[in-house]
Amino acid sequence: MQGTPLRRGSMAGSGGALPALTLVGLFFVVPVVALLLRSVTDPEPGLQNYAALFGSGTYVRVFLNTFLVAAVVTAVTIVVAFPVAWMLAIMPPALGSIVFGIIILSMWTNLLTRTYAWMVLLQRTGVINRTLMGLGIIHEPLPLINNLAGVTIGMVYIMLPFMILPLIGALRAIDPMTLRAAALCGASPFQAFGRILLPLSLPGIAAGGLMVFVMSLGYFVTPALLGGTSNMMLAEMIAQTVQSLLNWGLGSAAAFVLLIVTMALYALQLRMVGARRLAGGL
Amino acid sequence: MLLDYDRLGWLRAVLAAFTALVAAFLLLPVVFIILLSFGSSRWLAFPPTGWTLKWYQELLADPAWINAALTSAKIAAMAAILSVLVGLLASFSLVRGEFPGRQLLRGLLLTPMVLPVVVFAIAVYAFFLRIGLAGTTIGFVIAHTILALPFAIIPIATALEGFDKSIEDAAIVCGASPLQARLRITLPSIRIGIFSAAIFSFLASWDEVVVAIFMASPTLQTLPVKIWGSLRADLSPVVAAASSLLVGLTLCLMIVTALLRRRSSR
Repeated sequence: MQGTPLRRGSMAGSGGALPALTLVGLFFVVPVVALLLRSVTDPEPGLQNYAALFGSGTYVRVFLNTFLVAAVVTAVTIVVAFPVAWMLAIMPPALGSIVFGIIILSMWTNLLTRTYAWMVLLQRTGVINRTLMGLGIIHEPLPLINNLAGVTIGMVYIMLPFMILPLIGALRAIDPMTLRAAALCGASPFQAFGRILLPLSLPGIAAGGLMVFVMSLGYFVTPALLGGTSNMMLAEMIAQTVQSLLNWGLGSAAAFVLLIVTMALYALQLRMVGARRLAGGL
Repeated sequence: MLLDYDRLGWLRAVLAAFTALVAAFLLLPVVFIILLSFGSSRWLAFPPTGWTLKWYQELLADPAWINAALTSAKIAAMAAILSVLVGLLASFSLVRGEFPGRQLLRGLLLTPMVLPVVVFAIAVYAFFLRIGLAGTTIGFVIAHTILALPFAIIPIATALEGFDKSIEDAAIVCGASPLQARLRITLPSIRIGIFSAAIFSFLASWDEVVVAIFMASPTLQTLPVKIWGSLRADLSPVVAAASSLLVGLTLCLMIVTALLRRRSSR
């Protein structure tokens, strides 16, 4: 530390960040701060927008529904992703790369394209209903779209890669010897799973689950197209309040609530996995 | 034995079957949309009763779709170039700089990736309304560059971290100027990172819906805005044709990326 005083206070190598900082400062930080200020100044100074937001049954229902959808989507995504990640973590790479390719393809495919496909697939007269009826499993078409089921299917589809990919890393990091030891000591596969594999992969599940939860909270496109009017989510409500009702004060207040919740959960995530891993090794 | 592929026993069959099922689930919409786009039924009957190219003809004959695609390509190309340039400069600072607040800066530059897009969308829309950039190409490019920047910074900074700076220093010792050394030694060495950055930031803009919905005007529409509008109106098979072309584009980009990765790892 003796040699450092010269460096202290110096801005060595910071110049390159100036264009990025200017861009993000001017067109990201300023607009977002201005929006938040608007929530307490529009139409007049005060907290009336927040009072309206939390005082109205309609908006409170939107909040609750947003959390409900995000929680259901996260839970389903974890349950579906875990076995896949498990298999991919130990599979021979040649076979696994096919599955990887499919995961990347679905992840890179245009979001609207994927959502459009689900809109057609899940219709009353869509392929899924017709197949189930053809098989004699159901006699009436199931309501699969414009409700919680539709949003869940569409969202889980989008979130699966974000859960599978980090989970593979978490599972690969577990030393297989611990499970061999468990088997040698007489643990049944179920015991080894419940008492060794699952607890050891819990940090990975928690980190991935939190990410999926946070992403789901603020999702706009898929819930707007696959969900119903009775279970609107926060992002769609914000967009509607601003775009159709032109109520900027209320919309800004709702946006602020979404921002605070997201950032708080993101900070928690950062603490859990460390900033480096979250930023993809940056 | 749960993490040993060869000793899983009956569990392996269960896991393999489940994985195959999920892979089919992930593939289903992509394959479905392509089949649908060649189906002859306007009402999206499936399996199609006949095959046709008329939805593609309808799509390519409609100037609204063509214009939207061209607008998207133009905006995405500009946003990609801008975010790669700005991101490249920023990455050098973030990886090599030694200044207070570096971590904070890194966090700030990556925040647009985690903030819900709808919040940024209405914020930047309100701001652009005030300064007269709403509904303009330049406004689109700026907003998309903000969203694309993290996708440019992450691969470039990762590549730069993996590059041994002493090679650059050696070039300087041998008489190159610092700028020459960076341009002729460092940049070629991290080109895969730069290339990934260009693809990711292009896609970040090309596929972006939420900001675009707010920013679009009747005369300035990107492809996602056009699709969004069509989806809200009716489920026309023309959308399936447009979507299939997008899937084709995605596949091309995936293959190019994979080939480049393979070449660089050799």
